[in-house]
Amino acid sequence: MANNVIETRDLTVYYGNHRGILDVNLSVEQGEVFGFLGPNGAGKTTTQRVLLDVFSPTHGQAKIFGKDCQDDGVDIRKQIGYLPGELALYANMKARDFFQMYEYLRKDKKSKGYWQELADRLNLDTSRKISQFSRGNKQKVGVVAAFMDRADLLILDEPTGGLDPLVQKTVLELVRETKADGRTVFFSSHILSEVQAVCDRVGIIRDGQLVATQRVEDLFAQRMNRMTLIFEGPPPEGVFNFDGVSELEKTRQSITLEVRENLPLVLAAASQYSVKDIETHNISLEEIFLTYYSKDERGNNV
Amino acid sequence: MFRLLVQELKFRRNAILGWGLGLCFFPLVYVGIYPSVAEEMAGLADLEIYAAMGVNLGTFGDWIGSILIIMLPLIASIYVIGNGTGTLAGEEEDGRLEMLVTLPLPRWHIVTAKALALVISTVLIYLMISIASWLVFIGIEGQIETNLVGLDMFTAVMSSWPLVFAMSMIAMFLAAFCSNRRFATMIATAFLVISYFGSNLASSSPLLEPFEPFFLFSYLEGTGKAVAEGQEVWNIMVLVTIGVVAYEMTLIFFQIRKLTVGAWPWQRARVE
Repeated sequence: MANNVIETRDLTVYYGNHRGILDVNLSVEQGEVFGFLGPNGAGKTTTQRVLLDVFSPTHGQAKIFGKDCQDDGVDIRKQIGYLPGELALYANMKARDFFQMYEYLRKDKKSKGYWQELADRLNLDTSRKISQFSRGNKQKVGVVAAFMDRADLLILDEPTGGLDPLVQKTVLELVRETKADGRTVFFSSHILSEVQAVCDRVGIIRDGQLVATQRVEDLFAQRMNRMTLIFEGPPPEGVFNFDGVSELEKTRQSITLEVRENLPLVLAAASQYSVKDIETHNISLEEIFLTYYSKDERGNNV
Repeated sequence: MFRLLVQELKFRRNAILGWGLGLCFFPLVYVGIYPSVAEEMAGLADLEIYAAMGVNLGTFGDWIGSILIIMLPLIASIYVIGNGTGTLAGEEEDGRLEMLVTLPLPRWHIVTAKALALVISTVLIYLMISIASWLVFIGIEGQIETNLVGLDMFTAVMSSWPLVFAMSMIAMFLAAFCSNRRFATMIATAFLVISYFGSNLASSSPLLEPFEPFFLFSYLEGTGKAVAEGQEVWNIMVLVTIGVVAYEMTLIFFQIRKLTVGAWPWQRARVE
């Protein structure tokens, strides 16, 4: 508990008639990259805005570095670098002036001028006005602003949105470097491949509720195999009824199984019949993520 | 807060110069024209319609009072409404406020820095207009009969500043209170126009007289006497107090405001 950088308890936000988030209980440990996954409108941005005291929760509490986000918001924000999902910048400023202003307002001395190094890494021309930038370059400005004072906690909302693949890679490198420094990253995204690439743990939020929190490696440790067995004739009936094995699809000559455990039993059972071919593939994080959603839609607990 | 104030003033540089120089044409034209239309104006002095519009044509002093004390703050209020509502509600709508409130700054610093920047902007604009009025007076002094001196032009312009201050803080309050800029601007503009015409009409209509204290312009006297002797201290205090109260209300409402979601202050959370 003492190592938790972010901790929320029954965090609930309603504004007007709209549900923001509901009873979100979350903890992010020191030095980890925590992926916050969910589709648009699930409550990712709302959670971040409560953490940053943009608005207060209807119910529950959020703490960062052991301090209450609403009572000690100013102290907390001194240690946070933030990249909002909907980035709005001062269009008439040059990028350089924006960074200098940001540095000036944050009273940041320990990383003075670091923005220039970041801008160079992201290949951002800071002498141009922000209004002249493409969406991708504006996003780079946001990324630099978030990383420029080497904050102890980074809250990044869709950090690679609008960036080309090369720059995306650089941003993910920056995230890894932040982790290597022992700092913490709260990484909100719906791009699963990048979450898979940099995150230690993921929290999955759906309709404002946190439906699962797991280490990425644990997700893969229990990952499923999908296997399609193609037979010479019609596939046999009821021979693959083992624990952790479920039948997904059956055709005239094939059967597709989701195998979580008891793979040797499945293979042994299949060998009793004339199997013409076997196709297998590992399920990606994306598919696991979608499994959470589809399960919930069927009304089961996840 | 000082750092933010400096930034806010930097953002307003062009507006200060643009509005300041633009409004300098106001005395240049309307004070400068007086020698050539003085006789015609004297003939129209008794028409009620001019009184209803807040224009007094009796003497040079009355004309200056109408132009520099009544008309000028009306126009300057357009600037403060635009700027006052744009600074909180406008920035909230376009998303820039989110960047600001997520910096390690208390909200009252943000409001105060923006309010001070607006106040300083209007003072600078007013100083430019005051100096321009003084210079125009020097240019026409030999062609008119008046007891006024150049400094009276300067003080006449500055004497209407408390109304602009009050209006600017009201605009900021509306920006902190309303859920969007459009609505804040609409209410502030309506308040300004009603205040202007209401004050003029109240002085000539017994029906509106009881409402006179509610019209901001009732606290400005646009006569030759006011140009020569200045505004009543009580009236200045009322306008400044309105401004200070509006500023404090802005602080309160901005502090409790759920930013970025466009909710009105009375919209309460509803847990199902």
